[in-house]
Amino acid sequence: MEIESAIETLNSLKISSIMPRIETMPVVTAQSDILSVLKILRTRHHVWVVSDRDSMELLGVIRYLDVVDILLPPEAHRFKLGMTSRTMKSLLGGAAKAVDVAEPNPLSIGGDATVLDALMKMRKYRVQVLAVVDEGRLIGEISLRIVIDELLRLLRVGGASWRQ
Amino acid sequence: METVTWLLFALGVSLILAKMGDSLIERFELPGVLGELLMGMILGNLVYFGIVAPQYLPIVSGQGFTTDMTAVANFLAKLGIIFLLFLGALDTDINQLKRTGVTATVSTVLGVFVPLLLAWFALMKMGYPSREAFAGGVLLTATSIGLTVRVMMDLGVLKSEVGAASLSASVMDDFLGIALVIFAVGSGSLVELSLKIVAFFLITGVVWWFLVDYYIEFAERLHVEKGILGMAIGMMFLFAALAEGWFAAAIEGAFMMGLVLSKLPEGKRLMEDLRAIGYGLLIPFFFVHTGAMLNLTVFENANALVLAAVMSTIAVVGKVIGRGFGAWITAWGRGRSFLFAKENFWMSLQMGIGSVPRTEVALVDLMVAIHGGAIPSKDAPEFIAATLIFITVSVLITPPLLKWAFRREIEENKSLKAARKMEQIKATKERIKEVKERG
Repeated sequence: MEIESAIETLNSLKISSIMPRIETMPVVTAQSDILSVLKILRTRHHVWVVSDRDSMELLGVIRYLDVVDILLPPEAHRFKLGMTSRTMKSLLGGAAKAVDVAEPNPLSIGGDATVLDALMKMRKYRVQVLAVVDEGRLIGEISLRIVIDELLRLLRVGGASWRQ
Repeated sequence: METVTWLLFALGVSLILAKMGDSLIERFELPGVLGELLMGMILGNLVYFGIVAPQYLPIVSGQGFTTDMTAVANFLAKLGIIFLLFLGALDTDINQLKRTGVTATVSTVLGVFVPLLLAWFALMKMGYPSREAFAGGVLLTATSIGLTVRVMMDLGVLKSEVGAASLSASVMDDFLGIALVIFAVGSGSLVELSLKIVAFFLITGVVWWFLVDYYIEFAERLHVEKGILGMAIGMMFLFAALAEGWFAAAIEGAFMMGLVLSKLPEGKRLMEDLRAIGYGLLIPFFFVHTGAMLNLTVFENANALVLAAVMSTIAVVGKVIGRGFGAWITAWGRGRSFLFAKENFWMSLQMGIGSVPRTEVALVDLMVAIHGGAIPSKDAPEFIAATLIFITVSVLITPPLLKWAFRREIEENKSLKAARKMEQIKATKERIKEVKERG
């Protein structure tokens, strides 16, 4: 497939058609300990935090860069109005569970939206992954990695290993 | 043209000194805002003492120094207050409020009203008019939890029952401290003011529940550079204008808009950009500007020192008694049998001491009270001096007091750590022994 038509096709794809299965996604429950989160972040760029595995209610997200706030000692943080939420993530400061370090209210998108919609949202808010939710339930994710995989698949120059 | 040059010069010097002062004071594990205030105080007094001519540092106003350029500096400082409160609200975890228990609620209410009423009464006794005395009381209401959090983190007690309750209480505390200033600066009868407050909350509620999602969706569709940021700031200014018009307190609008936006993930994602504008320019300038308002010649008059002593005492004692008693009376939800227990007393005392520090919101309330006319310009220097003194006193005494109040927990934590270490050493020795035996 030509690059132009591949990108055109890619942009018009529904997110639900290319998002990975929930079992393959980096998901932890609110009460999981931070070390479990860090283990996942060795190979992934984010971890979704849900209330429990049954309801899958999305509570927040822990991003790769949040590890900086997690590992910094409390004294390295600045205590100023409007900046306290970062400080509370410090492991040495007492954060112990996934929910303690998660950024609440992660950016999300509906499964019916297209890849183009997702890319526009990613650009506006400078993020590389969006949660796919249905009435507050985490049902999938769309990330730049998934989009790249799909483009390569369309161009038949590389495979999306997670789909195989 | 020349005046603009000196305004730009003053702005540049203020920002550079603010950041240096912030860094210097943070090295002593104290809130950086003290450094910014100190730098402002130095700059301002270069003018007050005639070392630098006022036109070269147009950040000092009043007392014959006011010019067009100082009006611009005043406005920039006011924008700093607005951004500070907007950011503070946007960073607020509303769920923290939902989780707030009875102990945190009761202790917050008493912790706000005891110092307020004590100061109101004391200042009236000192001869200040009722409205001004009330404004003085409002300055003592809001806790700055930042320092307490840092000390509690250092002591390893932030996740304790007291630590969690202190965090919840601080969110409500700020909210009450900011809301109460309306009654100091608002004009008209109490009924009129109350009606305006109800109307303001209704408007905010409608925006919160029905409009803000559509507004952000609309902003997303504009496809312009920083469109969402601009639209969010624009809406915040409209709220601030409404609050300024109704209550002479623009901060209320900024704070409410921050809370409204905080419920949206899109709003939270604007934090970095807003922090850049706020902490990169406007907020440090506000603190330097406030520090510059302290004319040290005010201490030639004993009134300022007496006022500072009274307010500092009430700031500490009023909070410890108010919040501590509020926590004690609830017995931490453990029933009547716990009421007279020693543990209840100590936990309540820890809660009270944790609420002593004051910084940003006290300064914000001070500026709102001065600009809104609740504190007349003739008394403003005294109140500025008193506020800066009670802020300094409160942040200096809190760490040692907290260490003293938590000394039992600190000892327990130390013994626990030592026991764990001993267990680890024992386990390692056993492993070495096993390996040797195998070998």
